[in-house]
Amino acid sequence: MFRPRTLQGRYARTAYLFLLPAILFFAAFFYLPIGNVVATGFRTGPMADQWAGLDNYGQALSDPAVRHSFLVTAGFAVMVVAGSIVIGLALAMAIDQPLRGRVLFRVLLLVPYLTSVAIVGLLWRNILDPELGVLNRVLGAMGLPGQTWLNTAPLLTIAAVTLWQSVGYTMVLFLAGLQGIPETYHEAAKIDGADAWRRFWRITLPLLAPTTLFVSVMAVISGLQAFGQAYIITGGGPGDATDLSVFHIFNVAFRTRDFGYSSAQSVLLLIVIVAFTLVQLRAGRRGEVTY
Amino acid sequence: MRRPLLYTLLGLACLVTVLPLLYMVSLSLQTEAETLAADAVLWPDAPQWGNYAELFARAPFGDFIVNSLVVAGCITLAHLLFDPLVGYVFAKFRFPLRNTLFVALLATLMVPFFVRMIPLYVLMANLGWLDTYQGLITPFLMDAFGIFLMRQFIQPIPDDLISAARIDGASELRIYRSVILPQTRPALAVLGLFTFVFQWNEFLWPLVATSTPEMRTIPVGLTLFNQEYFTLWHLTAAGSVILFVPTAVLFVLTQRYFVRGIALTGLK
Repeated sequence: MFRPRTLQGRYARTAYLFLLPAILFFAAFFYLPIGNVVATGFRTGPMADQWAGLDNYGQALSDPAVRHSFLVTAGFAVMVVAGSIVIGLALAMAIDQPLRGRVLFRVLLLVPYLTSVAIVGLLWRNILDPELGVLNRVLGAMGLPGQTWLNTAPLLTIAAVTLWQSVGYTMVLFLAGLQGIPETYHEAAKIDGADAWRRFWRITLPLLAPTTLFVSVMAVISGLQAFGQAYIITGGGPGDATDLSVFHIFNVAFRTRDFGYSSAQSVLLLIVIVAFTLVQLRAGRRGEVTY
Repeated sequence: MRRPLLYTLLGLACLVTVLPLLYMVSLSLQTEAETLAADAVLWPDAPQWGNYAELFARAPFGDFIVNSLVVAGCITLAHLLFDPLVGYVFAKFRFPLRNTLFVALLATLMVPFFVRMIPLYVLMANLGWLDTYQGLITPFLMDAFGIFLMRQFIQPIPDDLISAARIDGASELRIYRSVILPQTRPALAVLGLFTFVFQWNEFLWPLVATSTPEMRTIPVGLTLFNQEYFTLWHLTAAGSVILFVPTAVLFVLTQRYFVRGIALTGLK
């Protein structure tokens, strides 16, 4: 093996030696698959071995089912983002007060975050079942009419179930953000006579912008790639009302066995996600604050 | 806001998060008739602990548990082995193409798993690794997030410590093991915890990459069990409890680390 003569050369050699497993891993399990998904998107046939040029992409862009699943997914992501910010921030502000049992509240609110999407899906499918679900019994006992939300508002319902699982995580992020705002800002505003409402809009919210940005980026990314909710709870239905994109791609790939067409759709969805992330981050850079 | 109102609000929110999980436990102890009653049963008259035994008789649930432990365990070990090493290199070494490689690494953060799903499936099929442990494990051996976390944690460690060890004649591997690694313990705890919980709960890849029931992990085995026996809610709930308990115990034991870990993910 060659021996570098300079000290720098020796450090560089050590660095690459240490990096070698990682370089091989990311090449084989990230960059090679990404290259392959793009390449497969240009092919067709049961073995995805015939050149199809841009046919798959063109077909995906004009396929009403694909367009519908994109819209469904976008709607789902918007609901999850809005819910994450509003509920997460409200819970964080409530728990940020000097209360007894804060740690316990925090633990209990965070518990659903530990559950697998398998639990979330199966449990809520049972609870929401119009025939045998416990929710209708509880509603009935309170004198409220029974629900069939998975039929009447399926997308909103699976978004709510997703929030049930994830909002504790958002709350902890907002809590960290709130605790990073110097107390002096609020005190100064109080002395100037600003009420709580004004302080929220003029101090808390603007200074929390980086956290809100992070939360919304994470929620968009995870919302756009939700899968289990459709696979387990609704099967994409009723009809195709909850045909989330990744669920749609999964079906085209592994039920219809059309790897070319499903790969092209994956690439399109990836482009949407990357574009969204970059736009959000760029918009966020303008609102950054330093203390 | 007034205190009583705050307590009420937070109390209600906690009921919403916790009651469904308690109901899951209740469901797992009901008789089949109780689970199918027109009026849902809140708590069973006589808890049916035998449901758990019946679950193991109906599905290879023991295999699911072993598979989940092996897969999540191996992936967690790999992260603990590689993420700090790679993070250390990016934090403390200067070498050609360093920035290029680091950007290439961070770029993978923007690649969601579904993008890799189809090509990985084809790759694993070609390797003959579908329905094997190596097929379930290898796609997740490292990730940019863990490496980034470790780099951020290692960066503040003074360079002088490393130089001093070099002057004393310590080998580079020795420096990493004896000087760097011991100082990263809190970050390693967070990394290990998160990796294990996420992999324990992972759903999509084990669904795609396994075909025989004996190779399924708990989340997938349970979901497909429910598709097959969709009226046996008491058994599905029992399986859910088994899936949930390890993460819940881990969480209760380490909730401080957990909360700190989440807050860390929000840092840039």
